[in-house]
Amino acid sequence: MTDVSAVDANSATANDAGEADERLAYRSIFQRLFIRPEIGAIIGAIGVWTFFWAVSLNFGTTGGTQNWLDSASTLGIMAVAVSMLMIGGEFDLSSGANTGAMGILFILLIRETGELGGLGASIWIAVPLSFAFAMAVGFFNGWMVEKTALPSFIVTLATFFILKGAKLGLAKLIVGQISVTFTNDAHGYAFWQRIFAAEWERNSHVWNGRDLFYIGMFLVGTILITLSVCEMHFVRRSEPKPAGLGLFGLGMAGFVASIVLFHTTDGVGANFVAAAVLAVSVVVAMVGFGQWRYEPVAAAGGLRLNAGITNYLVAGLVSIGIAVACAFAIDSANSETLFFPFTVQGLRAVLIMVFVGVGFMLAMVAANRALSVNPITKGAVSTVIAAALAGFAFVVRASSEAAKFRTELFSVLLLCALALFAWAVLGTRFEERRRTDASADRLGTRGLLLGVALLVFAVIIRHLFVTDAELEAGVNPAKFSVRMLWFFGFTAVMVWILGNTRFGSWTFAVGGNKEASRQVGVPAARTKTQLFMIVSGAAWLVGMLLAFRLNSLQASAGDGEEFEFIIAAVVGGTLLTGGYGTALGGAIGAAIMAMSAVGIASARWNSDWRFVFLGVILLLAVISNRAIRDRADSARR
Amino acid sequence: MKKMRWLAMLLALVMVAAACGSDGDSGDTADGGDTGSESTDSGDSGDSGDSGDSGDTEEVDVAQSGDLTFHMITHSEDGPFWSVVKRGMEAACSDLGVECVWMPGFNDANQMVQDIEGALAEGSSGIAASLPDPTALVPVLQGAVGQGVPVVTLNSGANDYQEIGALTHVGQTEFIAGQAAGERFNAAGATHVLCGQQEQNNVGLTERCAGLEDTFSGTVTTDFMDLDADTTAQQAAINAAMAADESIDGFLGVGPVITMSGVRAAGDLGRDVIVGGFDLTPELLGAIEGGDVLFTVDQQQYLQGYLPILQLFLFQTNSNTIGGGQPILTGPGFVTADNAASVLALSEAGTR
Repeated sequence: MTDVSAVDANSATANDAGEADERLAYRSIFQRLFIRPEIGAIIGAIGVWTFFWAVSLNFGTTGGTQNWLDSASTLGIMAVAVSMLMIGGEFDLSSGANTGAMGILFILLIRETGELGGLGASIWIAVPLSFAFAMAVGFFNGWMVEKTALPSFIVTLATFFILKGAKLGLAKLIVGQISVTFTNDAHGYAFWQRIFAAEWERNSHVWNGRDLFYIGMFLVGTILITLSVCEMHFVRRSEPKPAGLGLFGLGMAGFVASIVLFHTTDGVGANFVAAAVLAVSVVVAMVGFGQWRYEPVAAAGGLRLNAGITNYLVAGLVSIGIAVACAFAIDSANSETLFFPFTVQGLRAVLIMVFVGVGFMLAMVAANRALSVNPITKGAVSTVIAAALAGFAFVVRASSEAAKFRTELFSVLLLCALALFAWAVLGTRFEERRRTDASADRLGTRGLLLGVALLVFAVIIRHLFVTDAELEAGVNPAKFSVRMLWFFGFTAVMVWILGNTRFGSWTFAVGGNKEASRQVGVPAARTKTQLFMIVSGAAWLVGMLLAFRLNSLQASAGDGEEFEFIIAAVVGGTLLTGGYGTALGGAIGAAIMAMSAVGIASARWNSDWRFVFLGVILLLAVISNRAIRDRADSARR
Repeated sequence: MKKMRWLAMLLALVMVAAACGSDGDSGDTADGGDTGSESTDSGDSGDSGDSGDSGDTEEVDVAQSGDLTFHMITHSEDGPFWSVVKRGMEAACSDLGVECVWMPGFNDANQMVQDIEGALAEGSSGIAASLPDPTALVPVLQGAVGQGVPVVTLNSGANDYQEIGALTHVGQTEFIAGQAAGERFNAAGATHVLCGQQEQNNVGLTERCAGLEDTFSGTVTTDFMDLDADTTAQQAAINAAMAADESIDGFLGVGPVITMSGVRAAGDLGRDVIVGGFDLTPELLGAIEGGDVLFTVDQQQYLQGYLPILQLFLFQTNSNTIGGGQPILTGPGFVTADNAASVLALSEAGTR
């Protein structure tokens, strides 16, 4: 860290000479984003969400969001812990049964004594006692794996059977039942119920100013993100040109005006005027900002297309054209079920999505290739893509009246086209950075994080509060449970531990190469045992959440779930072989799985095919993760 | 090696001691209605002590009944349903003074085939088996009948027991049970019922929904939700399905756990949904008492454990057959708010 500036100077000269040390080679912000292990999962999650949002009316609403988030919470807590363990190079097949076991143990501890068993302990005692037991189970797993030097697959399989049997055996021995229940009168129930199962009823929290707040936050966040990306992408001017700020202000004024126009009118014509104002002002503002801060492009060059560019571009445009043809050819009003899992409408949606997705990706490859020719060529290619997107948006709009495409998709697609076009314009006017600029990167990163935080905050606010207008329209109630907070909190803590502590580095080390790490002084056995204890602790947490949610648990609760945890971790970009992955990826993997399950039910597809869909997602996830990892490796090399 | 032998002997001693020890409190002939017999059924092998317990089986030839060993091979592990079947079997075996072996097949037809072959190899005096997958299980059971081992099918298998040459079938015809549920929904005035399944490849569950579709006058949507082991996902799927279709005003869960998931999903959505269920758990019975669930179809599975053993016993000792070649139906019975309280008491005791 200390010699960054020296390295900068070196690499700058080396770069010019064309002989950079490739380990220090400059990577642009996009390259840096794209080598993160969880990026595949993030893109997948956005894709799956967009998909179901577009084909189901209910999925994108607050009710639908609450539904899949709730489902993702318990799965996600476990997936995050299991990801950590897998990074550490081990498996825990007992993790599924463990969730149910902890819940059942807890209920058995607090059940009132008497004819039908139970210890009748206070919840204040049962909570730490069951947690201690969870730690013991985790320690046992880790200790056995270390002492016997057997694969953790085998050892934890044994623990799985023991826990599974003990759940059933104890439940029947003590309660004489397969499901154990408890009542609300246990000592300390009111307090702990709030800790583990408190709920936020959206429909009783009215805030009519919500939308204004939401839009404001959302716009500020978006602007912040855009400017931060610019900051990290272009070369700073040696001395800023204040004239640009005037242009920027003008653009922003137009921007605000267009938003106001959007909100004060409902007319189609006025909306188009507003959209035009919006588009122009965004471009003006961004150009102005660039003129103020960034170096103009040195050599823009002329339009030079080669076969490598045009082939991809044409293929991409043809693919988008096929999507348009599908949109018109298949009757969207027909909702009959095909032999296929989808209705005619669903099939149409899938075909359109696939072709647009493929077309867009091909076109982006063309744009990427054009980048190596000169800025003008890239700008031209990007503009063509933006125009194609905008055209597609209008097709969607034309067919959205016949249902099955949300009208919002039109505006979203137009916004994407606008963003792409504005970015293309900037690329032709300002010089892209080819070397590290620590101060710009720091500023950009902070702005980016703040912008993302604002967006997230805006979305949360939108989901937590209801407006009178929505209530009048009869919006479905949504109850946000504290389980989600546990999920987010647990994920945040684990991400922090993995990224910022010595224990986190040791986890990667023991998963990568245990012997090597041991030889350099990493306490491998202790680290692995602690990882097993984290998984068991997470299972305890999920057990508590389940127990307080249902007030009863089946002896079979959680059995077989361990594979879902592992799948979620793998979808999130964690390697089965250990040493590579992220905790955040596990959380996102869990979200993808929950979204798929809820989305299929929400879109009213034939659920017989559900696992086909899950299988396809799993396959796509691992393939794209593999591709991203290869890219990351080659970028590092 | 020597150490191992000592260990084995020690283990054998402990087991003998345990077997003798369990004699004391299982000497009563009650149908497991008291907690005394509950506490013994967690140790399966411990129950074998009952066979030597001749005090309450004097009217039967002790030597003969002591020689009888029946095997009950079922396709499920001890869920809330099957644990009651198991209790019925245990009560029958203790009442009749015969030895019984409970072999759960964990939803694995191959495992069941192996269990049946294993039972035959041990010289079983009679086999009671459920038939979730007839194609896999009919041949091996036909083989058993060919060897002169009497067979009774239970739970699922109403369509195949005659082909096997089984003495009878003890169970509920799933289709008829579904039809009865459909009539209940008609009477309650539902118009669109969602039939939620907790397993995907179970013929019996599909039949229940098909029966519902047969008699119900409105629309039926049948769907797999999620497994009982993951109630969170199950509830989320039901929630999504109900939210996607405003016209759904009825829910039939074809198992007790998924029924409760349906109750919670409807509650979360704030929808007024008529809920019906299958089978019994204390939780479900509590919901019926509380008015959240209208009814549950009770197939009295205790009988499905008790009657096959009784039939096998009567056949072996007296060459009797029950039912005249027809299946013996144990359901559908219904539990509604009227009788929920009394059934709840029995269910908590583990016999309903």
